[in-house]
Amino acid sequence: MIVGERKPFDEIKEMVQDHKKIMILGCGTCVAVCMAGGEKEVELLAAQMRLAAKLDGKNVEVMEDTVTRQCDREYIEPILEKARECDAVISMACGVGVQLLSDLIEEIPVYPALNTRFIGTNEVEGVWLERCMMCGDCVLGKTGGICPIAMCAKGLVNGPCGGTNKGKCEVSNEKDCAWTLIYRRLEKQGKLDNIREIFPPKKYGLHVNPIRQVNEAYLHAEMEEHHG
Amino acid sequence: MKQAKKLLEEVGIEGDRVEMYNMGASDAPLFAAAVNEMTERARTLGPNPLKKRG
Amino acid sequence: MAKQSFKKALDSGKFVVTAEVGPPKGTNIEEMLHHIDLLKDRVDGINTTDNQSSVMRISSLAVCRLVREKGGEPILQMTCRDRNRMALESDLLAANVLGINNVLCLTGDYISVGDHVDAKPVFDLDSVQLIQVVRMMEQGKDLGGNDLDGPVKFCCGAIVTPEADPIEPQLLKFEKKIKAGIEFVQTQAIYDIDNFKKFMQYARKFDVKILAGIVLLTGAGMAKYMNANVPGIFVPQNLIGELASAPKGEALKTGIAIAGRMIKQLKDEEICDGVHIMAIGREGLVPDILTAAGL
Repeated sequence: MIVGERKPFDEIKEMVQDHKKIMILGCGTCVAVCMAGGEKEVELLAAQMRLAAKLDGKNVEVMEDTVTRQCDREYIEPILEKARECDAVISMACGVGVQLLSDLIEEIPVYPALNTRFIGTNEVEGVWLERCMMCGDCVLGKTGGICPIAMCAKGLVNGPCGGTNKGKCEVSNEKDCAWTLIYRRLEKQGKLDNIREIFPPKKYGLHVNPIRQVNEAYLHAEMEEHHG
Repeated sequence: MKQAKKLLEEVGIEGDRVEMYNMGASDAPLFAAAVNEMTERARTLGPNPLKKRG
Repeated sequence: MAKQSFKKALDSGKFVVTAEVGPPKGTNIEEMLHHIDLLKDRVDGINTTDNQSSVMRISSLAVCRLVREKGGEPILQMTCRDRNRMALESDLLAANVLGINNVLCLTGDYISVGDHVDAKPVFDLDSVQLIQVVRMMEQGKDLGGNDLDGPVKFCCGAIVTPEADPIEPQLLKFEKKIKAGIEFVQTQAIYDIDNFKKFMQYARKFDVKILAGIVLLTGAGMAKYMNANVPGIFVPQNLIGELASAPKGEALKTGIAIAGRMIKQLKDEEICDGVHIMAIGREGLVPDILTAAGL
């Protein structure tokens, strides 16, 4: 899932300082799970905005809402009318949600309340770890299910580097050395030969942003259905 | 509680204005102590900044 | 000594000695030029470090050229941290054209350990792939599959940490570097000759020259610091003791004696093919170390 973190309050307050009627829109999927932009967080941010407005002697109306997710039009559409009554929207979704919402209500500025940080999972409750960097050329089948791009600070595909130390990364004692983990995992599976081969350089040509992915079969079927 | 204090501090309201006390319903002495503590804090911190703005 | 090329020195079977100069952080190259002068006739090759420890400094390519101009034999250190494959290939072409024919291929320390913590880490290639690129360009091709108008020619090397812990992943990587095609290896600093002998038993399986890394110890404090903080370096207790019990003001002298002694043993007992001396800021003392080693 996508993991993000709410921006410092001052930064958000400054973004909307000239606006009088603000909607705060949350997202009920990824950012709700990582406790950054779900319904609860919307409530808290709205309360802070109202308190801050009062302290500054400003008259600001803050509305709240949360949708299932902000990366699909169909979930956003029901609240668009309400959003259009405001002069600004603070979206607590990831960068994708902020942009989609902005595309749909162009004339009204949409501000991001979050810094979208990575895709990952939770290690324990309250702790999330980056696990995938979306390189578009997955080698997990060869590395025993441990990603060298995401888990190795340098993203090496022929690791480890010389900075590895007792299974930890040179960057920090709190980071595991991905390649030590990969070695041990493949050792358990009896598949060390996987990494005895030299992996070639990554093909960055696969990731020219923004990438567009098309399901040809689906589009073809749609066309046939509509045009006979 | 730590989170609530942090959220208030972010807005510019002193976190010490809120506190959570755990006590039995009949524990009068503890209740009185808590009230005294919070009253003292309120005195030290001064009027709630929100009050000035009405 | 620098009258013959580094490659010739390696192939001759003599006990090879290389040293390092660290480029300055700025345009004031006076001290560095002085170090080059001190070293050029006493060693078979001079490494120029590449933004060492992720601290921005004069590019190693330029410093190699200065070494060449002063009559020394330069070894270009190339890391993958700051340049993508195109820039690396471009620098390899430039090196040859400027009379630099030796290259040491490294991954590079991570950005965060240096002084530009917000810089974008590149690592488009890793050390193994860089070695492959050198060999590919020697065949007249670049990584884009294009023909080169004039190939390169390099004596190509890499590094290894003989006392890495754990050792197996390090050796697996070492074998990949050999597979990619290296002619020489400069090791991370070693202090325990017995442990190093064990490593050499393993390394002798491969057709590659091994130069043992020698880092000058300036005192017991430095030894303890390295033990605690530098991956793969283990200064044994007896050496720490020797440094600690040196008379006041003589710790550095003891360090030089220790380094000289180690080099002499490596040479006399034919344990490896040479040494790579890293004086880390004390390049002026390398001639003293060589003298202490009887070289």
